[in-house]
Amino acid sequence: MASQYDRAITVFSPDGHLFQVEYAQEAVKKGSTVVGIRGTDIVVLGVEKKSVAKLQDERIVRKICALDDHVCMAFAGLTADARVVISRARVECQSHKLTVEDPVTVEYITRFIATLKQKYTQSNGRRPFGISALIVGFDNDGISRLYQTDPSGTYHAWKANAIGRSAKTVREFLEKNYTEDAIANDSEAIKLAIRALLEVVQSGGKNIELAIIRRKQPLKMFSAKEIELQVNETGKKKEEAKKKKSKKTA
Amino acid sequence: MAATFFGEVVRAPCRAGTEDEEEEEEEGRRETPEDGEVRQQLARKREVRFLRRQTKTTLEVSLLEKYPCSKFIIAIGNNAVAFLSSFIMNSGVWEEVGCAKLWNEWCRTVDTTHLSPTEAFCVFYHLKSNPSVFGSCPRKNMQVTILTCRHVTDYKTSESTSSLHTPFLKALKTQNFREPPCCSLLEQPNIVHDLPAAVLSYCQVWKISAILYLCYTDVMKLDLITVEAFKPVLSSRSLKSLVKNIPQSTEILKKLMTTNEIQSNIYT
Repeated sequence: MASQYDRAITVFSPDGHLFQVEYAQEAVKKGSTVVGIRGTDIVVLGVEKKSVAKLQDERIVRKICALDDHVCMAFAGLTADARVVISRARVECQSHKLTVEDPVTVEYITRFIATLKQKYTQSNGRRPFGISALIVGFDNDGISRLYQTDPSGTYHAWKANAIGRSAKTVREFLEKNYTEDAIANDSEAIKLAIRALLEVVQSGGKNIELAIIRRKQPLKMFSAKEIELQVNETGKKKEEAKKKKSKKTA
Repeated sequence: MAATFFGEVVRAPCRAGTEDEEEEEEEGRRETPEDGEVRQQLARKREVRFLRRQTKTTLEVSLLEKYPCSKFIIAIGNNAVAFLSSFIMNSGVWEEVGCAKLWNEWCRTVDTTHLSPTEAFCVFYHLKSNPSVFGSCPRKNMQVTILTCRHVTDYKTSESTSSLHTPFLKALKTQNFREPPCCSLLEQPNIVHDLPAAVLSYCQVWKISAILYLCYTDVMKLDLITVEAFKPVLSSRSLKSLVKNIPQSTEILKKLMTTNEIQSNIYT
């Protein structure tokens, strides 16, 4: 049945599927893992960095991008599609500032991106965008936000979420470990993001990229040294927890 | 016969099937000498050849007679091969005994006589310390284990696909396989395709004890999590004796991954 209804985006299958949109969601799973965590005073985005070829410049391949001073996003999926979406979102952020004289809210720009994605699922001759995005930031009211969009054009608010390869594993880890204590302060939220990523990133800290936004502060990208430090501290805590457990059982 | 708008006469298909039509069809079926030659050339190109990789000499003695065995493990696909190389072949010394090369019209190379050593399609190894492990002889007391991967979108289930915890393992066995499998059996209406299906069918027909472990994954490229999904197989009776050092295997696997890590730039 799928083979008859999956070639054109504008055709529903008899059981109500839009196969091209579902296939676009498979394309998202080919991208490396992204995790987003919403703390009280901080939002954290962690991504698994892809290793690049020897002669390739590493700095050009960026999964975390600022859309405005107070909003940033990370994506998983087709790189070229992400570039187009990010470019349109950045223009919209500035256009909104010029027109309304206020910066966009995180929800507004998320809705804009989601609407853009939905348009491409309903036009002839186009295909859906093959990316999911995690959009984080602080609104003027000082509340932290985390939204996720997917190729179908739906968006939802989350406390913590993961997209890309092995997203399910990371999400299950977050469901078990996201507690009020875990996001009590900024460093705990960062450690939670790193621990979640380390569930699926096998090669450790050197393949992780981390970014945070604090209230009224711009996006901060962690350097490799800072990430290594955080990873080591997380490792130490894990060992301490293990020792405590073994003492209890003994 | 029918006439078209443009005045040409064409043969209209006729289900009645007259004698005249049969004669005409036979004429068409008769091969010209050139057809026969082309057919023979193709058949020669498509022959499966067994060679020793290092010396490129043909293995004259049939592999069947030289290496009779009791256990045959076949891995199909890069994740299954990575699992086999890291977890099973790292214990003990495995000697390469030969490789099979073949060519057909789907191959990208045009030169059929000088396939490079890296283009072997199947390499055969046997365990030096226990030569009864390996072989391709259809012995009745032989046990065959097949490992392969398939994309999870091929898995048909009444559950929602978002609730599936990929990667996961499913098993399919022949009637003669008595051991309990290391995972749940493959449910209907799912079917196995290609080479694994051929091997399993052969084993069923020849009453050989065989089991196929099929890993459904969402990453078909070489991927650590997919390879580790095969780990339950290590607890099976036939493979337990071959596995010695699991931490070392994990290290070997990580090294394999790093050499393959440079991925396509399309997806980030």
